[in-house]
Amino acid sequence: MSQSLDTVAPDAASGWHRVAKLPPQLVSWLEVGPLALILLLFFGVPMLIVLVVSFFDYGRVQMIPAFILDNYIELFTSSLTLRLYLTTLKYVVIVWAVTLVIGFTVAYFLVFHVRSLLWQIGLFLLCTVPFWTSNIIRMISWIPFLGRHGVFNQALMAFGLIHQPLSFLLFSDFAVIVAYVHLNTLFMIVPIFNSMARIDPSLLEAASDAGAGRLRVVREIVLPLSKTGIALGSIFVITLVMGDFFVVKVMSGGQSSTVVSALSTEIASLQYPPAAASSVILVVIVALIVSAILRLVDVRKELTG
Amino acid sequence: MNTERRTGEIQLVNLTKRFGETVAVDGINLTIPHGSYCCLLGPSGCGKTTMLRMIAGHETPTSGDIRIGGASVVGQLPVRRGTAMMFQSYALFPHLSVLDNVAFPLKMRGFDRDRRHAAAREMLSKVGLERFAERLPVQLSGGQQQRVALARSLINNPRVLLLDEPLSALDEYLRLRMRGELRRIQREFGITFIHVTHTQLEAIAVADVLVVMDQGRIAQASSPRVIFDQPRNPYVARFIGGQNVLGGIVESIADDITMLKGDQGARLAIRTGGSRPQLGSQLYFAIRRDRVILSRASEKETISGRPNVVRGTVHAIEYQGSYVKVTIDVPGLEEFVANISDSAFFVDPLEIGHSVFASWETRDVHLLESENHAQTTEPHLETALS
Amino acid sequence: MASLRHGPRPWTFYALAIFFALFVLFLYGPMIVIYVLSFQGPNGGMTFPINGVSLHWFKALIEQERTGDIAGAFRRSLVLACIVGALTVLFSVMAGLGFRRRFRGSNLVFYMAIASLIMPGLFVSLGIGIGFQLLGIPLAWYTSALGAQLTWTLPYGLLIMFAVLGRFNRAYEEAATDLGASNWQRLTQVTLPIVLPGIIGVALFGFTLSYDEFPRTLLAAGSTNTLPLEIWAMTTNVTSPALYAVGTVTTVVSFIVITAALTAIALIERRRLRRVSAAEPTIGEG
Repeated sequence: MSQSLDTVAPDAASGWHRVAKLPPQLVSWLEVGPLALILLLFFGVPMLIVLVVSFFDYGRVQMIPAFILDNYIELFTSSLTLRLYLTTLKYVVIVWAVTLVIGFTVAYFLVFHVRSLLWQIGLFLLCTVPFWTSNIIRMISWIPFLGRHGVFNQALMAFGLIHQPLSFLLFSDFAVIVAYVHLNTLFMIVPIFNSMARIDPSLLEAASDAGAGRLRVVREIVLPLSKTGIALGSIFVITLVMGDFFVVKVMSGGQSSTVVSALSTEIASLQYPPAAASSVILVVIVALIVSAILRLVDVRKELTG
Repeated sequence: MNTERRTGEIQLVNLTKRFGETVAVDGINLTIPHGSYCCLLGPSGCGKTTMLRMIAGHETPTSGDIRIGGASVVGQLPVRRGTAMMFQSYALFPHLSVLDNVAFPLKMRGFDRDRRHAAAREMLSKVGLERFAERLPVQLSGGQQQRVALARSLINNPRVLLLDEPLSALDEYLRLRMRGELRRIQREFGITFIHVTHTQLEAIAVADVLVVMDQGRIAQASSPRVIFDQPRNPYVARFIGGQNVLGGIVESIADDITMLKGDQGARLAIRTGGSRPQLGSQLYFAIRRDRVILSRASEKETISGRPNVVRGTVHAIEYQGSYVKVTIDVPGLEEFVANISDSAFFVDPLEIGHSVFASWETRDVHLLESENHAQTTEPHLETALS
Repeated sequence: MASLRHGPRPWTFYALAIFFALFVLFLYGPMIVIYVLSFQGPNGGMTFPINGVSLHWFKALIEQERTGDIAGAFRRSLVLACIVGALTVLFSVMAGLGFRRRFRGSNLVFYMAIASLIMPGLFVSLGIGIGFQLLGIPLAWYTSALGAQLTWTLPYGLLIMFAVLGRFNRAYEEAATDLGASNWQRLTQVTLPIVLPGIIGVALFGFTLSYDEFPRTLLAAGSTNTLPLEIWAMTTNVTSPALYAVGTVTTVVSFIVITAALTAIALIERRRLRRVSAAEPTIGEG
């Protein structure tokens, strides 16, 4: 060993002396602090505010601080509420089913049929790229596509499949669902892809060795092992659809209303208390659905990796 | 650096480590001489890695003391102790070149780039990897990565190097080669090595001091020769391999030879010297596998009369190159193995199912302490450095 | 069953491949329509057939009177996205490190982050809007909207850091300590450089999520709009391909940012693999 290194005094910035040690708990608090503080201030507190405001009274354009249950009573006794929820649930169920089928199929294809890792990543990125564009733009892009004079109709007429443009394509339930599926399928693909990628491929080979056909293998092995991914994806899609207002407004041409789109109209007319009450009820229902899903499938391990 | 602190003698005094309810290391007392190559040997969970990490400073003892060069180091940072650790996964920083990896400790000490790079290159040439200085760890083979990790841990001139299962990640061929490398480097640098492993052959090949551990305690600590030839108790005998363990009830004592009665009426003779074991007590002894002689037994023949003979059926035959490992089914014994030299075996090869007599000389019998006599006081390391 | 891993591909591969191709078409088709339509001439309409080819509508974006304050909204969105991206990185990385230990309240913070992620953005926006109003503080894109967007980006950042740090091998940190690094040196010289690609991913998420964010910002932005808000206003007011032009422009911006981030990651990986001299022997010796 070169002698010189031993004789030079080490720099004070190294670990040669004991560093003053803060208790680890305190260090963690300091590190998590800013994030926790922001979430508290801009999420926790506003949610409480919404809760509080839901009990307020209101006039034409102003809120009147109070504690009344009228907002809730109106919501629970109105038949409009039921209709709104039914419409919302209709969309939710259909969109969930469609995104699940598409998401599962695409993920299965990418994980099990694409052999090269490079292709897997490439094709996966290909799917994610559109999602880097604003939702509104992507939603609007369906209008010239689905309209009477839109690309789809023109293409169908050009091929001679129809003679009159299909009018149900746009400003209808169909358009709403197409838009929802377009915007949200990725949220189903990613978690399912993750779950599937963790499955040891030799499990499938063992199953086919034991005589299972391809479909059996999917049903018996792949599906159960992707449960967490499916649960996570479902939570994302369901909460996104239930909480949306602009897609249904634009794509249905104003004909259809969901809970949140009706809510947003109230907000626009500055009627905050009933909107707040409606929000609270929706949050409770969404929370119930999410906890029901979590009760069926344990996702904690998947999230914390 | 004070020269008096330079010695790499390690003393463990009543060292204990508890993880909740589990006692990983249980009141260990041990002295490892300066400049020796010490192996901690034992199965998973015996506490060897925990002990290593406590010496390194990555784990704090629950109680007891660790002294290096005579001074207590408990509570000190690893680098302050003059120890360096080589991790099982090597832990080479993936984002730094080989050169920067080796120079890292010097960078932490504040040396400027030219000086630390020069020192790192010198270190790399000592392990024969100077050509790979600019490469990334991921571009190196397992054996090369290990040498880089070695260079990195030696560059600060530690007085003790701690190696956590350094050869486990290598394939068989490399393992044998690197074994020699480690020994060579230890001799060249003259510092104390503590090498944790669960492989017996590896341990007896490299160690000056071999410490066999069992459930947080030291079963036996001595030179490899002593441990192999004179294991202290049945655990060590079975673990170190190469021995058969038998037991019997004391029947009679004449001069310095005690006769035991074993299963099937076998008569077993042990030289017990001056000590007089109690009549009727159970004694255990070991007989080396390569000191067992086999002969065919016909139907009618019995053991009768002759001491140190047992009868059994050949259960398995395994060719091992220079010898043949013959496993014999002897009623009353778990396992009985005879290692017969290949020339002797193939004169008249045995087959599975043959009846055989296995016999041995009384002078080859080694008395064992009973199973529960676990080591708690400092062992007498008479032949620590051979 | 024909093996999925080796040998000839089963028929299901082709079926699924076609399905996948259709899906990709489904994703990209409408967007391409918009890009094409935005390049129309002055007489262009909102749907096909195309009427001329020009950059007319892009120029129209800059003229404020006809198309609203696009330029201003664009500028605000970019600045806001940069701020949100930077803050998201800083706070998420710190929090990610903090979560490696067990500490009191860790569950609370974790569930709050998840709840913030799942909560419909409109409600968060509502709460912030009302809250500021009750407190008498004016809403602004660089205060209330900033906070609103952080409630969306921070949970994502945190989850990414969980994934990245979860895969991180603690042995590197132990080795660093063993070799003499102080806690700070260990963090800056070993931990952060190794997880740098993940950190860039967090920055990317922070930027793009903010840049595209709509519901949370809707009621929290105050009198001036971010770009998504401006676009939303345009959907009701503007009936010209200028809307499509905006779509094309924002997509291009997103693409540039993402490409830059991914290139940065690739470059970091590449720089670490320095050129290997041709004379050096190959890997193989022990």
